[in-house]
Amino acid sequence: MPGSCSSGEGTYRLKAHRFAGSYTIGGWETIAHSLRWEGGVGPTFPPHTSSGGGRRPGLLHLGLRDADDRVADLLIADAPGEWFTQWAIDREAAGGAGARWLGDHADVFLLVADRESLAGPQRGTARGQLQLLARRLGGERRDRLIALVWSKSDVEVPTETQDAVREAARRAMPGLVEFSVSVHAGAEGAARAKACDPGLGFVELLDWVLAARRPVRDLRGPARPTSDPFLAYGRR
Amino acid sequence: MKNPQGKTLLILGESGTGKTHYGAQLLLRLNQQDGALRMRDAASNLSAFESALQQLYEGRAAGHTATADYLESFWPVEDRSRRPMDLIWPDYGGEQIRRMLEQRRVSVAWRDRLTRGDGWILLVRVQHTNLSDDLFSRPLADLGSKSRVERGYRMSDQSRLIELLQMLLHIRGVGTLSRISSPALTVLLSCWDELGEAGEDVRPAAVMTERLPLLADFVGANWHADRLSVLGLSSLGRSLSDREQDEEYVSRGPERFGYIVRADGSRDPDLTVPIAELAARTG
Repeated sequence: MPGSCSSGEGTYRLKAHRFAGSYTIGGWETIAHSLRWEGGVGPTFPPHTSSGGGRRPGLLHLGLRDADDRVADLLIADAPGEWFTQWAIDREAAGGAGARWLGDHADVFLLVADRESLAGPQRGTARGQLQLLARRLGGERRDRLIALVWSKSDVEVPTETQDAVREAARRAMPGLVEFSVSVHAGAEGAARAKACDPGLGFVELLDWVLAARRPVRDLRGPARPTSDPFLAYGRR
Repeated sequence: MKNPQGKTLLILGESGTGKTHYGAQLLLRLNQQDGALRMRDAASNLSAFESALQQLYEGRAAGHTATADYLESFWPVEDRSRRPMDLIWPDYGGEQIRRMLEQRRVSVAWRDRLTRGDGWILLVRVQHTNLSDDLFSRPLADLGSKSRVERGYRMSDQSRLIELLQMLLHIRGVGTLSRISSPALTVLLSCWDELGEAGEDVRPAAVMTERLPLLADFVGANWHADRLSVLGLSSLGRSLSDREQDEEYVSRGPERFGYIVRADGSRDPDLTVPIAELAARTG
């Protein structure tokens, strides 16, 4: 996430967090390397996450230290979209087992609305799937936080489509927060490139995720003292 | 050799980062008796640096240390207030580090070195690290065709260094829940002369933030501020060829060349400074 700035103005800064390590740095790299300019070749889309037959998604880890020296461990699921499509239709779908697992375990949900597909030739399907997924998520949510994230925010989407998605999401998930993100240069691209903007909205979104807190639960202490609470449980 | 009273400093660096050159030059400085550290006795064994010293005397760059080699020299030194200290200075082929990363395995010998070191010196040849532009630093008007250009997967330099530090900390049994105080860490940006004008009047920490921002964040977020330092190093002061002789080197002697870039950006010909500082910080 923290990227670098070619104009030498430094690293993008989250409000209060610094990068403190990752247990899955190789995993991040397999995604990040396709987003780099290397040997004159520009960024391409990262490889599509294959749906495979897994029952649990791949997780990417990010350790971030805040101003009070506390480390926040973020686990971000890298799950194929097909899982969610099937889960939205049938909660018990065999192909949606991974999505069901996430639905049980995640602390924060980001419902991503891809503006490009909402504006594309299959926009009807895209809108329908998103509305279904919003309803499923609303049903599974319990007390957890959800944000609606408009990706590729530089792409124009008909207002009616946008309103329909937003309305469905809000109805299913009261208290929904919205973000817009984009890595595209878009119209004001040149100016942003010069200002070395870390894409629109990403830093705000990550700050919101980091501030999200679920009601506190009592957790039994680990069996053995450890300097690393992240791996404290499940150790034998 | 073990010495419970001594400080054990571990020099970490991939191949080509200048571990041998620094060791050889440091040895000359320690024997000169006018730096922050000096020999208080004759070193037990100089064989690790014999051929490197020979090359430097002749004004040539030292050859590459063979992969399998691991030679430790035991250097009895003292600081300006005559406090004795025993340095164990290793020399080894940097591929050992690369292999650890690739195979995700650490030999027993390395595990022992990692657990007993009071301080780590990480040599990073900053001019050889590469920070590619990405989607954020150099946005595209359009990602264009969605065709995926096949290109070999390569981990970025800074991710590799971060992974290395994470592995080494894990072996040592140090977590990052609270900030790290032991081992103390000095990041030495080596071959500083290669930076040219970009290396003039600039703090080494600023160079690291610019060239390796994620690594700078990682060490800054995880080490106690007083247990971390970022310094620049030019062991030779200029680049030498392994074939052509540098006349000035031959006539003036290698001990007249090389410098340290202190945290404030000032230069100091005393190459023992990073070691003295690190030893002081290990308490």
